[in-house]
Amino acid sequence: MSLSLFFHLVNLESRKLMSYRVDFWITMLVNLVVNLVVLWALWTAIFAESGAEIVGGWDLPGILAYGVMVFLTGRIVRGGDLQMTISTDIYDGALSRYLLYPRHYAITKYAQQVGNVMPDLFQSVLMGLVAIPVLGLSTTATVTPLSVAMVIPTILVAHLLFFLMSLIPQYIAFWADNVWSLSVLLRFVTMLLGGAMLPLSLFPDQVQQVLRWLPFVYLFEFPTLVVLGKVDFTQWYIGIGTCLLWCLVIGTLSVPVWRRGDLRYTGVGI
Amino acid sequence: MVRYLRLYLHFLRFSFSRSLEYRMDFWFRIVMDCMFYAVELIFFTVLYQHTDLLGGWNYDQVLIFVAGYLVIDAIHMTVFSNNLWWLPIYVNKGDLDYYIVRPVSSLFFLSLRDFAANSFLNLVIAGGILAWAILRYPGELGTSNLLWFLFLILNGNFLHYILQMYFMIPVFWTHTNRGLVMAFFSATKLMERPDRIYPKWTRRILMTIFPVLLVIALPARVLFDGPDPLLIAQILGVTAIAFLGMRAFWNLALRNYSSASS
Repeated sequence: MSLSLFFHLVNLESRKLMSYRVDFWITMLVNLVVNLVVLWALWTAIFAESGAEIVGGWDLPGILAYGVMVFLTGRIVRGGDLQMTISTDIYDGALSRYLLYPRHYAITKYAQQVGNVMPDLFQSVLMGLVAIPVLGLSTTATVTPLSVAMVIPTILVAHLLFFLMSLIPQYIAFWADNVWSLSVLLRFVTMLLGGAMLPLSLFPDQVQQVLRWLPFVYLFEFPTLVVLGKVDFTQWYIGIGTCLLWCLVIGTLSVPVWRRGDLRYTGVGI
Repeated sequence: MVRYLRLYLHFLRFSFSRSLEYRMDFWFRIVMDCMFYAVELIFFTVLYQHTDLLGGWNYDQVLIFVAGYLVIDAIHMTVFSNNLWWLPIYVNKGDLDYYIVRPVSSLFFLSLRDFAANSFLNLVIAGGILAWAILRYPGELGTSNLLWFLFLILNGNFLHYILQMYFMIPVFWTHTNRGLVMAFFSATKLMERPDRIYPKWTRRILMTIFPVLLVIALPARVLFDGPDPLLIAQILGVTAIAFLGMRAFWNLALRNYSSASS
């Protein structure tokens, strides 16, 4: 697929999503307020009731910054609401149209997914500008221009990894009528094991060691640690490289599933 | 009343036979919900590695609180969730016509018609987790506390449905309520944490204007601290007012409904 076509699809998808402006702003506002309230209340209570000044290597402003940043970067990594479109295309027969196009279906969907992320990216930057000054200074986390520059490619790679991870559950739609539950299941697992709900440094040591070997950490925790200046340059490029390796592994695993499913596809509804 | 009960039994029969047509989805949904339960329990278990109390509750108490929330979620997924999912589609396609001309309450019919039989097993599992959390509780939980708690869980479930309806009904005017529904699901995070972690004014708002703390956090307080008549009156009173308001809102929406198909 040529780059100009790829970016044309990105542009088309972003504009489609932005046409529902009221939805766009309501979701953003409520999400931001609720997350800030819950985050602030929960961690203030934990620090007050435990009497500790450092929890899992974080002070209170640091862990609040982690909570805000993981929420903002996570929205971009998860990438809009396209998680069900592949299975829907398979179920209602819209896939037939894409199969006739001279472009690979997964790449077309990835371009649409990137387009879906653009409004999230815009929202996240806006929310960050509101939330970060409220959090106060931390001794355990600092956002610098360098860390912001480093996080951009990190998020792009994490987003690709999440897209590839969600391909196989979506392809199951070739065999099952409804795979919504599988997408939600993937979301629960990645949120917990990827550090979106809690920093992984809060888990017991042995669990942390296991989690470091899994791909989930590169989805949410790694980009957040990068933006908070907790990752040095060497750790950063090793992290990016490992994440790309996981993309390769998971992408490769999805190919035989697609091929078998494609053979089975009957194009109902056309 | 008997007519409505008979009608509901028919809904159940149709729903069970329909769900058995999609067996793979049946099992996927069970696995998904079990994973949701595991994630919620692990989240609090990890937090309690770093503190003994949260919002004044110890780990044993918070387990009961979380299990209560899981039961409410399971009842919601079984009884209401599918119906509320279809509501905006009916409104926008004009299919609501078929429901408002029937000789039964349209609110009853549209809220309860589709019973998610595949989530029913999850309700049993969530109930099992609650029973386990209560049985392993080291302290004394009085029978009356327990009965009030179970009753208030049912009430909390009804309140959860009412609150979601407030976010669904605007679809009659806006034609897309995706933003509002997403906002509601975000806001439900507020009910998944112990009430005492919130500052005084936030807590007041969450007990009156947007009463999500009445869904499970305050029923759990009744279980641990005993049935305070004032608190129970507040929970039931707010639920009743919320229901009357929602019904009036629904009737107003129906008056504004113009069938898309005509």
